[in-house]
Amino acid sequence: MPTQLINPMNEAPLRVSMPPARLRSLQGKTVGLLDISKTGGNLFLDRLEQLLRERFHVANVVRTAKPTFAKPAPPGIIEQLRTVDAVVEALAD
Amino acid sequence: MRYPSTVLDIGQTVPAIPGLDLGSDAALIVFFETDCPTCRLAVPYLNKLARGARVIGISQDDQAATNQFTQQLATAFPVQRDSGLALSRRFDLTFVPSLFLIDHNGRVLRSHFGFDKAVLNEIATQMRCPPVAEDFDGAPQSKPGCMSRHLEPKVEGEFGPAPPVSFSRGVPASVIEVPDGEDLFEYCFQAFGDALPVIPPTPERIASMLSGAAVNPSEVIARVPPCYGEATVEKIAANAVMAGCLPNMMRVLLPLVRAVCDERLNIHGVQATTHFAAPLVIINGPIRNELGFAYRQNTFSNVARANSTLGRALQLILLNIGGARPDAIDMSTLGNPGKFCYCIAEHEEANPWEPFHVERGFQRQQSALTLFAAEAPHGVSEHTARTPEQVLKSISYALATVWTYRACLGSEAVVVLSPEHARTIDRAGWTKLRAREFLFENTGVPVRAYDNAPDAEGSQLVSKYQEILIDGERCYQKFRSPDSIRIVVAGGTAGKFSAVIGSWAAGPRGSEMVTYPI
Repeated sequence: MPTQLINPMNEAPLRVSMPPARLRSLQGKTVGLLDISKTGGNLFLDRLEQLLRERFHVANVVRTAKPTFAKPAPPGIIEQLRTVDAVVEALAD
Repeated sequence: MRYPSTVLDIGQTVPAIPGLDLGSDAALIVFFETDCPTCRLAVPYLNKLARGARVIGISQDDQAATNQFTQQLATAFPVQRDSGLALSRRFDLTFVPSLFLIDHNGRVLRSHFGFDKAVLNEIATQMRCPPVAEDFDGAPQSKPGCMSRHLEPKVEGEFGPAPPVSFSRGVPASVIEVPDGEDLFEYCFQAFGDALPVIPPTPERIASMLSGAAVNPSEVIARVPPCYGEATVEKIAANAVMAGCLPNMMRVLLPLVRAVCDERLNIHGVQATTHFAAPLVIINGPIRNELGFAYRQNTFSNVARANSTLGRALQLILLNIGGARPDAIDMSTLGNPGKFCYCIAEHEEANPWEPFHVERGFQRQQSALTLFAAEAPHGVSEHTARTPEQVLKSISYALATVWTYRACLGSEAVVVLSPEHARTIDRAGWTKLRAREFLFENTGVPVRAYDNAPDAEGSQLVSKYQEILIDGERCYQKFRSPDSIRIVVAGGTAGKFSAVIGSWAAGPRGSEMVTYPI
């Protein structure tokens, strides 16, 4: 006779979301740059913004930062980034 | 703050809702999707609001899914379907849940999308109702919503079934059948838990474990970050069985799960960080002796079933329900042996001062648990000093190295004082507060330590540091205040060994210590 066990794991299926289609070009697009507030993130994103503008001719760059790297982004930050075509996140120091 | 969730502005009249008479009162119209976790999170609060105000739910899904949603969550307000998503298009929603507070003429007084406890309480006030959301009830303070159904990309088969999550009542755990001939322990070892064998969670063992909790097994105690798995009493009991707990440990485990999901502790971050942090449990009060928690020698280690199984049960819950797998979401660079088990109790009988939980605002006879996002203990040996100053000086040198030597102000520490050290300090008439203040004033990093190290961690922040003199030397003060240093008395009565335990990123922007009654 098979032994029965009570499942101790989380059984809620994770919500699957489709990633958006990849951009074919950055030209004329708006790119969001999210700094999670770790040391050096701003240096990385400053340089990236420069490259995006000079080499990839983006129309606009939206800079935003989490109040702390230790917690998920507050809804306001996520809303701000919903308006852009692509986001780059400076994740670590 | 108003987010751009809709084109409807305050003062505009909402489109007509078929079959709905707006009546003479204000009403809150809530658009939701049945598989949106944020919508589900919001329902119990809307139920509370519906006791004293008019709430109208509008489901973006079909009748079957809507019925399942309203039954599972016991919605206490009328819900109607948005057939063909016509209303959603007319309201021009972007996200769900979308909330529209309207007056008796159907004019928008305010709108909001997503879940936010503060906003819900403000809406409750506007509708002349008492607050509906408490700050630390196990649910996050706020949570973004999902894209409105009519804006979702049309991709078939890419979305999973609606997650069966609810707030107060959870879904029963499924039953797994292990075929004859399969080694049960090996099966459990592979399927559940950490990297050690576990006791198989059979229905009989779980029934016995549940006898230790006078709570409905389907009650949801909290949602465990980072995956926000639903910690029902039954799931907690299953993990307690696997960890080897006795049924009476459910008394501690239920408040412990609530506490570990308290947003101030920020277990979401603790479980995902590259740092060493693991939640340290500190037990106080009569329950120590009732359940056999070790607070004498080896309190940190392998001496007592109570400490060992409670600590491991918490870790199994964080792994199995919270989902912070050490090979995936938990990105700790080196980890921490405390991720198997990290639970001590205070040696209150050898503590010359008030017990730790009394300092945290509880009565002495009230049992309590405290959680601290902790590094591993760092031992301090001091066998020859005979004064409080000398003992505490030795401890202050270890405190100066918390996080990293040159980094000040960002962390906190727990000092686990051995009974012998506590006695030396008390014998001279010192209070615990005086000892903490002494540690605060005498823990610093010499200014010379920053010479020729402009790039070193902590060096960039010196402009924020407070310069003080310690023994005539210019130093930067290590901690923000005496409150950054907590003293707990624990351990055997022989041996002048204390320990310093550093924190993860401390404070409201990182992790704050929490204490809950048991």
